[in-house]
Amino acid sequence: MKQYLITFRSITFAQKGEWAVKRAGIPCALGRTPRDMEARGCGYCLKVRAEAASQALNALKTAGASYRKIYFSREDGSWEEAVL
Amino acid sequence: MIYLDNGATSFPKPPEVARAMAGALSRCANPGRGGYPAAMEAAREVYRCRSLAGELFDCPPEAVVFTGSCTQGLNMAIRTLVRPGARVAVSGFEHNAVTRPLHALGAELVVAGRRLFDWEDTLTRFRDALRSGVDAAVFTHMSNVFGYILPVEEMANMCREFKVPFVVDAAQSAGTLPVRLGRWGADFIAMPGHKGLLGPQGTGLLLCGRLPEPLFQGGTGSESKRPDMPDFLPDRGEAGTLNVPGICGLAEGLRTVSRLGLDTIHRREAEQAALCARGLEKLGLHPFFGPHQGGTVSFLPDGDCEAAAETLAKHGIAVRAGLHCAPLAHESAGTLETGTVRVSFGYKAAPWQTQAMLQAAEALKGGNVNIL
Repeated sequence: MKQYLITFRSITFAQKGEWAVKRAGIPCALGRTPRDMEARGCGYCLKVRAEAASQALNALKTAGASYRKIYFSREDGSWEEAVL
Repeated sequence: MIYLDNGATSFPKPPEVARAMAGALSRCANPGRGGYPAAMEAAREVYRCRSLAGELFDCPPEAVVFTGSCTQGLNMAIRTLVRPGARVAVSGFEHNAVTRPLHALGAELVVAGRRLFDWEDTLTRFRDALRSGVDAAVFTHMSNVFGYILPVEEMANMCREFKVPFVVDAAQSAGTLPVRLGRWGADFIAMPGHKGLLGPQGTGLLLCGRLPEPLFQGGTGSESKRPDMPDFLPDRGEAGTLNVPGICGLAEGLRTVSRLGLDTIHRREAEQAALCARGLEKLGLHPFFGPHQGGTVSFLPDGDCEAAAETLAKHGIAVRAGLHCAPLAHESAGTLETGTVRVSFGYKAAPWQTQAMLQAAEALKGGNVNIL
């Protein structure tokens, strides 16, 4: 299943994002950001299904839950940064 | 014991507070430090509390910084806004939690408004102080000694008009009166978690309208490669492990306050304070009362105030005597040498408490105070 991974600078912003995305009716999972996707140290991320990614980003924007980067999953299971 | 020292801390706490704290000890690890269930559970509880506070105090959750006390929050706020030697406007009713950090910075205090329960005096003097040129303003929402509710919204408007950054000390008002970071446009609002918010001791909140200068440096679980503290809220103000059990207890306190409603709590407390003041006046015990008064009333017995409080304690009434860590407020009221006896009602304020207090106070009539 293709997914998007949205990174945040802190647990609080990731939680704010989780709240906003779930309020929009979009399932998401909050977890730690994989080490190679967080250049500044430690962080948290949200995973959403690819088809809901656009709606999720809108929900984040509306709630003021600023995110850092977005990645999408490739066929082989690795992640690639999405350039918006 | 009839507890009338809610100005010091609310007591006893709602039972839900203790239950939440006990639950945290068995369910919660360190928030923001891992992705396993116990760490994420802790993070969820902490965020719930931030969100509850944000709803109650008109700010986004990330603007809520957890502190160990109101004093800690005030220190952080004051150190952010006040440079050594700065001129700072304060009200005539400040607590040492405001005046001592300012003193430590060598700030020049411009004391604005010393007349109790007199909004016209407070506002006129405060405007004069701002007009005279100050670098910052720090003022209490409600006097911890006399229950005087200051016109903070108008004072906030003046600060914005004069472009003076300001801090509000909501130690006695949070959980009783509306406190609004967004509406007031405050730079900071500090409050304890253990008074009107009904949480445990060792908790506090600093609502941040701007980035604070951290009092402490350390781990935050974010941007770990940086040598300095993160430049975003709330992490910048939260070095080290949070008091998760305390925060879980505070969340329950916030829920209780929200469920009861600020209007109900304030009305209960203020009504009993007014009733108490009238009764004390009839007894000749010199209460300080007037308009714009919350759930606290101070009085001046003929004898020693500490002895009077001890006599009341012997009658099962818990009150606080002395200077209440607020010599400036006592100086304003002319009670710096004598101190006062303070009666402060809480969210369960009821007429039977006042009646019992006044019955006990009859023992103080005419200075006939016997502590033996």
